[in-house]
Parts: sequence; structure tokens; C-alpha cells
Amino acid sequence: MFRSRTRFRAYSLAASCLLLGVSSSALAGDAPSTIDPLNSPSWQYVQARYFDGQKLIFDDRIKVLAPTAAEDPLDVPIMVTSDGIADVEEVVVIADLNPIQKILAYQPKRASPDISFRFKVEQSTPVRAAMRTKDGVWHLGGTWLSAAGGGCTTPSGGSSGLWQGHLGEVNARIWPREDKNQRLRLRVIHPMDTGLAKGVPVFYIDQITLRDDSGAELATLQPFEPISENPVLSFDLKNVGPVHVEGHDIQGNTFTATIQP
Amino acid sequence: METNPQSTVGFLSPRKFNLRARMGVCGALVAATFTAGAAGVTDAMIVNDQNTPEDVLTVGMGQGGQRFSTLNKINTDNVVDLVPAWSFSFGGEKQRGQETQPLVYKGKIFVTGSYSRIWALDEKTGARIWSYEHRLPDGIVPCCDVINRGAALYGDLVIFATLDAHLVALNQDTGKVVWNEKIDDYKAGYSASAAPLIVKGLVISGVSGGEFGVVGRVEARDANTGKMVWVRPTVEGHMGYLNGKENGISGKVNATWPGELWKTGGAATWLGCTFGADTNLLYCGTGNPSPWNANVRPGDNLYSSSTVAIDVDNGKIAWSYQSTPHDHWDFDGVNEFIPFDFKKDGKMIKAGAKADRNGFFYVLDRTNGKLFNASPFVTKQTWASHVDLKTGRPVETDNRPGDPGTAEKGKSVFAAPSFLGGKNWMPMAYNPGTGLFYVPANEWGMDIWNEPIAYKRGAAYLGAGFTIHPLYDDYIGALRAMDPTTGKIVWEYKNPAPVWGGVMTTAGNLVFMGTPEGFLKAFDAKTGKELWKFQTGSGVIGQPATWEMDGEQYVGVASGWGGAVPLWGGEVAKKVKDISQGGSFWVFKLHKSGAVKAAQN
Repeated sequence: MFRSRTRFRAYSLAASCLLLGVSSSALAGDAPSTIDPLNSPSWQYVQARYFDGQKLIFDDRIKVLAPTAAEDPLDVPIMVTSDGIADVEEVVVIADLNPIQKILAYQPKRASPDISFRFKVEQSTPVRAAMRTKDGVWHLGGTWLSAAGGGCTTPSGGSSGLWQGHLGEVNARIWPREDKNQRLRLRVIHPMDTGLAKGVPVFYIDQITLRDDSGAELATLQPFEPISENPVLSFDLKNVGPVHVEGHDIQGNTFTATIQP
Repeated sequence: METNPQSTVGFLSPRKFNLRARMGVCGALVAATFTAGAAGVTDAMIVNDQNTPEDVLTVGMGQGGQRFSTLNKINTDNVVDLVPAWSFSFGGEKQRGQETQPLVYKGKIFVTGSYSRIWALDEKTGARIWSYEHRLPDGIVPCCDVINRGAALYGDLVIFATLDAHLVALNQDTGKVVWNEKIDDYKAGYSASAAPLIVKGLVISGVSGGEFGVVGRVEARDANTGKMVWVRPTVEGHMGYLNGKENGISGKVNATWPGELWKTGGAATWLGCTFGADTNLLYCGTGNPSPWNANVRPGDNLYSSSTVAIDVDNGKIAWSYQSTPHDHWDFDGVNEFIPFDFKKDGKMIKAGAKADRNGFFYVLDRTNGKLFNASPFVTKQTWASHVDLKTGRPVETDNRPGDPGTAEKGKSVFAAPSFLGGKNWMPMAYNPGTGLFYVPANEWGMDIWNEPIAYKRGAAYLGAGFTIHPLYDDYIGALRAMDPTTGKIVWEYKNPAPVWGGVMTTAGNLVFMGTPEGFLKAFDAKTGKELWKFQTGSGVIGQPATWEMDGEQYVGVASGWGGAVPLWGGEVAKKVKDISQGGSFWVFKLHKSGAVKAAQN
């Protein structure tokens, strides 16, 4: 009973999302050039908006691991894996039916394209990862996430204003891995407000850079509004030793930290 | 909203915080893509702002803050034909006081709003180009509503202060944040709402928080990067800094402050400064000393309730003039000091004028702070009989609240003006054509008494109780034309509710001012006759400005009731309780029939 009600709401929201897509995309009328294995009602708009005119293939090696149903729509854990696809220059993660679709963009320089994070979901939606390899081809994989929804339009506040005294505090840990690799898990205190909750302005971290001890970039990341409050991110880095973290939000607050292995 | 991943990051060298680091707000986010003066608003343009009516680059319509425009296309003959061109709603549920002044540059109007918001609007249509809403923590403590008084322009930046005591610089075209600097800790009572002033590539700003025992100061930062250049405390005893090095203490420790009280001495610079290009001096007003209970802090308590002149190049105090020594009535001396010249005995005098919260209109020599004249601009002053022109000090009338000692409450006195002042924040205007200052004034007094008080960080630091009473039944507010050479009131307009908006005057012989009743009004600058009014839908406490576009003159003002009166006004509440909230920006021009043009098409 509860479940069917939830689904009904999800579909009515999906309809309004489609309308939004039509009005904001000039290319919305184009026929899809690729059959979407997820059969997303928004695929043609997603394709036109993020991959227009670019080479694109659906690739089973790319997996988006999500819980079968999102327990907390404000905090859905996602893991993106690439099964060793080489030469990935950029990763983009998109939730088709979120009011703000793009969750993050990631440039692994000396890092695996695999990344884990938590995000806010508005309704049941395909979640897809796209990886652009050196040859310019986007490789796409994804999954359907089932969710009761509301995560993007509810004020953040799981930590009840923790950010007000601790904005930009970084907690992190490094785990050495085999073959001179290491995993970095990072948490930054930030409300990550989407701007869609009534009376709360948009406020989110929009840049994180990881550097090795010599100052060379290991990876760069642009989180967007759907990333969960107090972002928790995991990276697989192709280096050993201390990692320097720098970042800022859209209102110019900056943070830095150095993580020792 | 998606951001440009190519933004380059100019960072501090990574600090060795193991596992934990705190968010800072010091660092230009986007590498500066221009050099000072190469693009956009230059220092030369800012110095000349009052002579270029096609733009408005400074709050005050010039660094001196005369609020005078050379435009005369709208004048006493045709102002009756002034009609709305467009209106922009600030939206949201955040309809509070709107005390801003618009800036106009290159097809855009920059207007700030309540709750630290700013918009760029299309000058022609009023359409929104971008908006920025600062994410404020819940714990901010602005004393007198969540207002903002306008922004500053420099290069391709628009810079404004926020209620959590930050300065934020945004790109004029995109609204993206370029730098964000923390002024001080909002949890210690600091906030900021005044418009910054740009002088010689520096962004000059003050602090708010005089009711919380903050330390008043003036700060000068590199406008391109937000990096601090100098800081000058306005409480005697505190060290100033220039380029990170000690730059001398303001005054002398304990000379006019006893014991340790100067450490939380107030004198907040919450209205910022004006600038005299010919003297190279900033003129910065300072607020009340903290706490309000003066019995606990004997002495003059420099540099509270003063005008402090600071050399903009080295951040040192050149002179100061204290209008209310040892203030006991919350007579902040923050009001704008406006440079002007007048002729005396055949000689041009470099003067400056200030209408003080204490009810006196002061005319000083702007080169050295010497007093020429001090005359009342309100009908009743109980606290002083006059100002001694020789000593420059007020002659008091034994009107101070009694010392409570260890009792709960000291002896109460009736004093006028009230602590909201003969004039409060709302700026006056000077018209070189008429030679008159136009002063927005209020007629009210107060019962005030003192209570024991101890400083507690972030808590109100008053030690006083008070309640305001209007002096007259038929009006509280007044707009008064003052002749600075004689100290005489030439004309006055009376308003039922207290006036709380800024004044502007033009070469069209007009004076503009808004009223809490919702009207923007235009008066004859020579006679005070009311010539035009328009109902904006909410109380007008904004600062009007005027500019020219495509050969036509425009007038703009923000509408939206709020500010200190509804919060602190005591008995005045019954005069203002029915005013509707609002939040919008109105633009007016002379009516021109569209019929002829339409017929040609």
C-alpha cells in the first residue's frame, strides 16, 4: 500500500521533470541516437544536455553500485567502478530524474576513475556514470535507484547546523593498497544546500583538488548540489605518501588539509 | 547551476594540519584576469563619479557622499510627470528593511537587499541577470534588522558586506564569487551592513556590533584580492597594522579609558567612511562606546562618537573630532561627514558637515578637524545647551542617567534626542547649487536608566534600559534644509512617521526622500514644497539615486519597511505597526507618450 503510493508520487514528479527538460533544451526534439539500456524517460534530454555530438557507448564494465532502495533520500551511498578501463580523463555522474541532474565531475589524473560518494535523491531515478577515455569516447553504465524521494528539496540538517561552527573541517584517512596505491576517504563539513529548499540559499562545495607531497595534482573533483551534506568521498590514488587537499565552495570559503598515511 | 571546472585556484601553501583543517576564507578563488585599472571601473572613474551621470559607481554618488546629481532633465517644472519605468521584486519570504542604494554601470544595476542578498538587473528592462544570496548562519546578531546599505564597484567586481561579517566580491557579469574575506567572528557580535568605499584601489570597510562590545576599526584591503593592507582601530589603546606590521597604537593606552574597558570599547564604524580626494583623508564616523552605561567607563572614551580622519595611504589618524565625549545616550557619531566648500570673508573654506545623532549639525575644517559651527537641527536637545566653539565641546545640562552602583537600576532621566537620534543612519545630501544640506531628522526623546553590566562575549553589552517617546502628536519625521554657513533651518517638511530613508538632490532643483508611509517624494530644493509622490507599496527607507540612460534621466529607490524603528521604537510602534512589509526596487522616468513611436512602426 505504502509502496504503491510512493511510486505514484514518483511518476507525477517525473512528468514535471520532463517538462522542465523540454523547455530548457533546444535539442529535446532530436531522436535518441542510442538505445538506453536503463530505458530512462529522460535519456534523450540527458544525452542532448551532456553528450551532444560526442561519441558514446554503453559499457558493461562500468557499474554504479547503489542500495536497492534508498533508505535515506538525503544520503544515498553510491560506488562507481570501472573494471580497469584505461585512460579515463573525466568521470561524470548523473541522476536523470533529479531536479539537478549532475552530481559530480571528476578528473582522475593519477588516480583510478572509481569513486564513492553519497548524494541526495528527489525520486526514483536512473543513476549513471559516464567515463570519457583519451580517445574522446564516453563509456556509460548505470542503475535504477528506487527512492521515496524528496532529498533535493528538503533542507539539509541531519547534523543540525553543525556547519555553522565547523565549516570546512576535514576528517580523512589513508589506507595503503597494493602496487603503490592508496585509498583516501575524506569528509568535509558543509551543508551542501541545493537552493531548492524554501528559504535556504544554494551553498555547496564546487571544487576539491588532491595533490601529492610535491604539489602535483592527483585528482580534481567538482561536486554539485546533489552531493550529500558533509560530503564523504573515497578515491583510489596512484601514489603513496601524504595527500594535500584544497577546496572551496561557491561563496568563496576555502579549506585545506594535509592527510598523512 | 554548474560551475566552470577550469577555475584556477590560488591557494595558500598547504598547512600541516594532520587530518583536520578548518575552512578559511582568505584566498582569491579565481586568478585575477585583469589588472587594476585595465578593465571595468577604475580609480579615476570613481574619483569622478559625481560628474558622470550616466553611471553611479559609489554609494553616496561620489566618494564625498554629497548625493548630488548634475542631471536636470527631471526638474521642478516636470517632476509631476515622473512615472514608474519598471519594478523588481526581491522575492522570497524575506521581506525586511531595504536600506540600499543602487549602483549603475554598463547596462547593469546592482542592488543589495535584506539577508545579505545582491542582484544584477538589466538597466533597460529591470530583468534579473543574476542573483547571489549569502548563506547566513542562524547565530548572526545584527542589532537593527537584517539590512544592507549597498555595494561598491571596482574593476569587474562588485563588493558587498554580509551580516556574518564577511566581505564578498563577485564578478559583475556572472555573479560568481571571486573572493570572500572574513572581517571578524559573528559569534563575538560582529556584523557588517555598510556599503564599502573604494579609494585608490583599496576597499575601505568598517564593522558593526557596538551593542556587543566589539572593537571598532577601519580596514583597507586590496580591492582586487581582498588582502588586508591596513587596519586602524577606533578605540584608543589598540594597535594598528600596515602590510602586516605594527603601525602605532590609536591614541594612548588608558588616556581616556579606564582599566581594561577599552578592550571591548565599541566605537563601531558601522556606516563606513567618506573620502576627501583633495585632503587624501578618509572621514569615518564611530559609534557609541561600550557599554551604554557610562558610569563604568569615566573619561572621554576616544575615539567613540567621533569623526576620525585617516590618511588613506598609511592608515594613521590625522585628526579626530568627538561630538559626544563620554557618551551616555547611545549618540553614535557614525554619521556621514560630507566634504563641501563655502566662501567666508572672500576665502574658500575646505569644510565638511555632519548631522549628528546628538542633534547638532557640525561644520568642521576638513583639513584639520577644527570646528566652525555647531547648530541644532532638531527642536529639542536636553543633554547639552550648545557647543562651545572655542573648545569644540558640548556644554552639558546634567542630563545623564544615574549610577546604579550595586542597585538593580539607577535614576532614570528623560533625554532628547532619543538614542535613535536626531538623525540616524539615513544619509543627508548637499546641493552646491542651493548651498543647502538636506537633513532627514526625527523628533523624539527617551526615558533612559542604567543597570550594572559585565562583558560576556557575543551577548548584548548595554547596561541600560530605555523607552522612546515621540515629542509631538502630529509628526516625528522631518526633512530640513540647513544652511551650513549660518546653521539656520531654511525650510522643513514634516512627516507623521519617523523618516528612515536617505536623501538625494539634483541640479533640477529637486530633493528626493522616501517615507515609511510608502511614498517616494520630490521636493523643491529651494522652498521645500512637495511636488511629487508615488506610493511604492511598502515603507521606503532606501537611498534614492539618479542616472541617465539613452538621453533620459532615471530615478531609482528600494522599497521595503524595516530597520531599527519597528524593533526599538517604543511608543512609536503605534505609528508604524500597520505598514506593510515589502522588498522591491523601483525605477522612474518622465512620462513620454509611446503613441507617436507606435504609429511610425
